[in-house]
Amino acid sequence: MRIAASAIALILLAALIGPALSGWDYAAIDWNAVRAPALSDGHPLGTDGVGRDLLARTLAGTRVTLAVASAAALVALVIGTAWGAVAGWVGGRVDEAMMRLVDALYALPFMFVVILLMMVFGRSVLLVFLGIGAVEWLTMARVVRGQVLALRERPFLLAAEAAGAPAHMILWRHVLPNVAPVALAYLLLTVPQVVMVESFLSFLGLGVQEPLTSLGILVQEGAQEMEASPLTLIVPCAVLVTLIVALNRLGDGLRSRLA
Amino acid sequence: MTLYRVEGLSLTLGGEQRLRGVDFEVERGGCTALVGASGSGKSLSCFAPFGLAPGSAGGSARIGGDELIGRTEAELRRLRTRVGFVFQQPLTALTPHLRIGAQLAEAACAAGGARPDRRALSAMLDRVGVRDAEAKLDRWPHLLSGGERQRVMIACATAHRPALLVADEPTSALDAALRDSILALLRGFCEQGMGLLLVSHDLPLVARHADRLVVLSEGRVAACGATDALVTEPRPAAVARLWSAVPRLDTPLDARPETGPPLLSAEGVTVRYPHSPRGSAPAIADAGFELCEGEGVALVGASGSGKSTLARAVGRLGPISGGMVRWRGVPLPPRARMGRAERAWMQPVFQDPVASLDPRWTVAQSVAEPLRHLRPELDGAARAVRVAAMLDEVELDPALAGRRAATLSGGQAQRVAIARALAAEPELLLLDEATSALDMMVGARLLDLFERLQRRRKLALLVITHDLAIARRLCHRLVVMEGGRVVEKGKTERLIADPVSPQLRHMIAAG
Repeated sequence: MRIAASAIALILLAALIGPALSGWDYAAIDWNAVRAPALSDGHPLGTDGVGRDLLARTLAGTRVTLAVASAAALVALVIGTAWGAVAGWVGGRVDEAMMRLVDALYALPFMFVVILLMMVFGRSVLLVFLGIGAVEWLTMARVVRGQVLALRERPFLLAAEAAGAPAHMILWRHVLPNVAPVALAYLLLTVPQVVMVESFLSFLGLGVQEPLTSLGILVQEGAQEMEASPLTLIVPCAVLVTLIVALNRLGDGLRSRLA
Repeated sequence: MTLYRVEGLSLTLGGEQRLRGVDFEVERGGCTALVGASGSGKSLSCFAPFGLAPGSAGGSARIGGDELIGRTEAELRRLRTRVGFVFQQPLTALTPHLRIGAQLAEAACAAGGARPDRRALSAMLDRVGVRDAEAKLDRWPHLLSGGERQRVMIACATAHRPALLVADEPTSALDAALRDSILALLRGFCEQGMGLLLVSHDLPLVARHADRLVVLSEGRVAACGATDALVTEPRPAAVARLWSAVPRLDTPLDARPETGPPLLSAEGVTVRYPHSPRGSAPAIADAGFELCEGEGVALVGASGSGKSTLARAVGRLGPISGGMVRWRGVPLPPRARMGRAERAWMQPVFQDPVASLDPRWTVAQSVAEPLRHLRPELDGAARAVRVAAMLDEVELDPALAGRRAATLSGGQAQRVAIARALAAEPELLLLDEATSALDMMVGARLLDLFERLQRRRKLALLVITHDLAIARRLCHRLVVMEGGRVVEKGKTERLIADPVSPQLRHMIAAG
């Protein structure tokens, strides 16, 4: 878990301050160094097929991917927690109806929904993460509802009722704080899922637009340049894999520690 | 002939020495009981030699001449097949998705025996006193009563004919009425030459069945010897302390506190759960009782008799489908419309002290909760003063105020829950098995506290319990329940002297 946390911290740090230090703009074209190999002309990782610095592009792409993923995971956290907490707390028919809706949404091929949204409203980063977040909340809602159901039987909630606490106060002050650690652990597990989805959409050409880049776009571009300059594929892939594995490891570790 | 001998057993756990030089032995065909308060090391002494307790053990433990201490896990596993284990919780010790017959067969095969046929399995159940054994083989564990489940556990533990049977608090989770019969069953195996090692905190109970007693205190043997020699007066101090911790039906009592005018009355209370099938009996049918100011009333009955459901319905903390509840003659509003004033009248204390406190809250926050909602006129400083006063009232160290509930012991947590209930200045406390999850010594001190509160604050108590001795200690009157109905009610002394209902007779015989 410690290694995973350090890897994530390192990637975050690089994505945040790296672009300022690399000396190259992610969109600037160096006409003198198209498909330059690593460590040439001040390009530590070389350049891509149109002469853009690979290190600068990877850092910028990581930043976009992380931003989209955290925003989408936060959307999932807010919707999922609210939905699951209300369903579990109110119970009965309301719970039944709310959770059947979640089941129905689960059954939709959600990649298709995101693509459809994109077709209708045009491509934008905002839409990408709204779309992903709006689908990723389903698991969160189930997790939170399960936790709330387990808590409902605890006598401290009955004691709070006897102490005159109104229902919304019990939900806010007793139930949600006790659900929070588990919800946060799942939030960390949602982030790598969103990273995957975002990369996949970008790989299909439905993600963010050029010259803005993301890890998915870089992998797609790298795949085309694979034979001429393999680094353009290897570097973004390595970052992507490290990020996903580390986030999963950390989320798993937190979940087993808190839940 | 000695079957199992433990000499100078020590155990270090987390840098702390938990057992120091414990000695005891079990004869072939004999019964030795390890007794002591919780934390005295009785369970550790019984499991550590078999590698079933955490920490590192030293000293010597021999079963049939073979040393257990210092063996590898594989060797221990082989030696453990000579022993059968029975645990405290019959509910969780059976695998929920296996039918009774399958569990038994698995237990019988575990020690390398052949898979028994159906006749052998039903004979095994028959031997442990399960009625209708043949049919029970196809049941799921959750369809059996607590007593039957414990009998099945015993059948599993003895299926491979072990030389030694180790039973850790085998009756603590069971109703008082069942305890003697389970111990008698275990004792019966001794006649076939099996050795029995019992672990319990209920000294008077095990004293009726064990040949030898070993009283443990703080990881040491405080007294040991033949049962008769230890329990006849004068008893050694360590034995006397445990002996008097358990309330008995024959303990002398002080005069009961004065009672006032009627406080609470319930008539024709019915509780029907929304998802129960049509035509099935309601959980509570036409039950009622009255309670006066400063009076103690006990709802007694076996587990599942509906006493808790009735108390929660009346206290507006659970569902109710019909009936009338009056407070000082005025109808009490339904659960959703209970206002501040009404909530402050009655406060509950629940069975599981740890689950009745929010694990993320500090003691002070928990105790202040009723003040925050029921006395909104108090500011933070005034609340803090009252919280300190409440902690003092329940004899808790004020330094605990900043601790989180999860770091408290069971007894401390229950005192916090009582302080929270008292903070609302109620006239009635609902005590829902408030001492039964606690160790006997801790529970006995809480009973003293309840009695003091009853006298000092003129508190009325509605006591829900399966232990008649606790009811007798705190209550003027008894309400005996069975199957969701009130079967008998009246003054405590009169009912105990002259019980009419079979349920009450049964409870008196067991107590």
